[in-house]
Amino acid sequence: MNTLLERHQGCSGGYALLLEYVVCLAINIGLSDTAVMDMMVSTLQQQRSVTEQLRREAAIKRIPVSVAVADIVRFISEHEQEDCLLVGFTSQKVNPFREKSSCTVL
Amino acid sequence: MPKDDAETTALKKELNDLIAKCKADQEKVADAKLAEKCGDMGDVQRIRLVVKKSLKGHINKVNSVHYSGDSRHCVTGSLDGKLIIWDTWSGNKVQVIPLRSAWVMSVAFAPSGNFVACGGMDNMCTVYDVNNRDATGAAKMVRELAGYEGFLSSCRFLDDTHIMTGSGDMKICVWDLEAGKREVDFNAHAGDVVSISLAPDMKTFVTGSVDRTCKLWDVRAEKEKQTFFGHEADVNSVCYHPGGQAFATASEDKTARLFDIRSDQQLGHYTPPGNAGFTSCGLSFSGRYLLAGSDDNSIHSWDTLKVAHTGTLNAHENRVTSISIAPNGIALASCSWDQSVRVWG
Repeated sequence: MNTLLERHQGCSGGYALLLEYVVCLAINIGLSDTAVMDMMVSTLQQQRSVTEQLRREAAIKRIPVSVAVADIVRFISEHEQEDCLLVGFTSQKVNPFREKSSCTVL
Repeated sequence: MPKDDAETTALKKELNDLIAKCKADQEKVADAKLAEKCGDMGDVQRIRLVVKKSLKGHINKVNSVHYSGDSRHCVTGSLDGKLIIWDTWSGNKVQVIPLRSAWVMSVAFAPSGNFVACGGMDNMCTVYDVNNRDATGAAKMVRELAGYEGFLSSCRFLDDTHIMTGSGDMKICVWDLEAGKREVDFNAHAGDVVSISLAPDMKTFVTGSVDRTCKLWDVRAEKEKQTFFGHEADVNSVCYHPGGQAFATASEDKTARLFDIRSDQQLGHYTPPGNAGFTSCGLSFSGRYLLAGSDDNSIHSWDTLKVAHTGTLNAHENRVTSISIAPNGIALASCSWDQSVRVWG
């Protein structure tokens, strides 16, 4: 059983987690080598699908961090004045938690 | 023991090469650091929120809270087997809904305010109609969504007729509530899906999982668009940035992080003064404050841009399990194992 794990230690990166997870699960619940081999065939399919997925992800266009940060900063700056947790209430009228002095129609 | 066949070996090599390519491409675009680029912005003050309402009513740990789209009502779920809908402005209970199973882990309020949903260790998601009562006077149960092979960890309404769920069987499901059928059902992660956050435009969503990754999805597709690595333990909560370009995460690894979608990498790494894991996170209306509920009974806050800790909100006497920020940003609701719910503003 240990050699199965050893062979999979060649896999690095987060995607190998899937393969490792399934194989470890099989070993931990005491499945025989044959049963684990069967699971590995389906994990071969999963390996294919994980690799295909990563091909897609490797191909995406990434923008520079400086541009991304600039956009986030712009959004925050444009909305800061409306952010009550940041600037508080502009007047007590808009504060729904204020003590009400007289009856109001809701 | 038979060796790896040629295909498996080739796939593994390709996988490692692709991972290396992704990392290299990310580094290529990393031409700036978040805190440095924001160095000349004004500082934000230390967080000054106080408890405006203390909502008492649950008699056991409260596990989840979620605001309605009206920024006034919220729903909480507790191990006492009840959902309570609160009017946070007055502090009053609007409705108490008894549940068939007390093991509730997650609640959701439809943006319209017409429905609430909950689920947990009963491996089901149950939806109630807030405006219609059944014979006993409790909110009418409209759907019991079953068939999960694991606990329900998170749910979010897309609208009054569709709900998305994440569960311990590692899947995401989207249900058509009118038909009572699954529209979409796919394996999402290599571990329990723990948290879902919808983008402001509702076209994409991010998920967090115990497999330590977060993934970005298109609502209409079954394959993830991007995967984000970085956390070193379970990701417990994800929250989209209101600008839609980034998302915050909070994790068992005692950090909160900010990931940017278009540059496909982590921008911010937020640590607290203490040493406790985070259960939940949220961003203020503009996204300048990042808030996270913690195992140390407090809610930590940071300046998202300058990556600086801006204080803690202390009032709870036990782990803070969940926080929710009102859609219009006026308040923050938090709930805890101390059986209380607090509204901060």
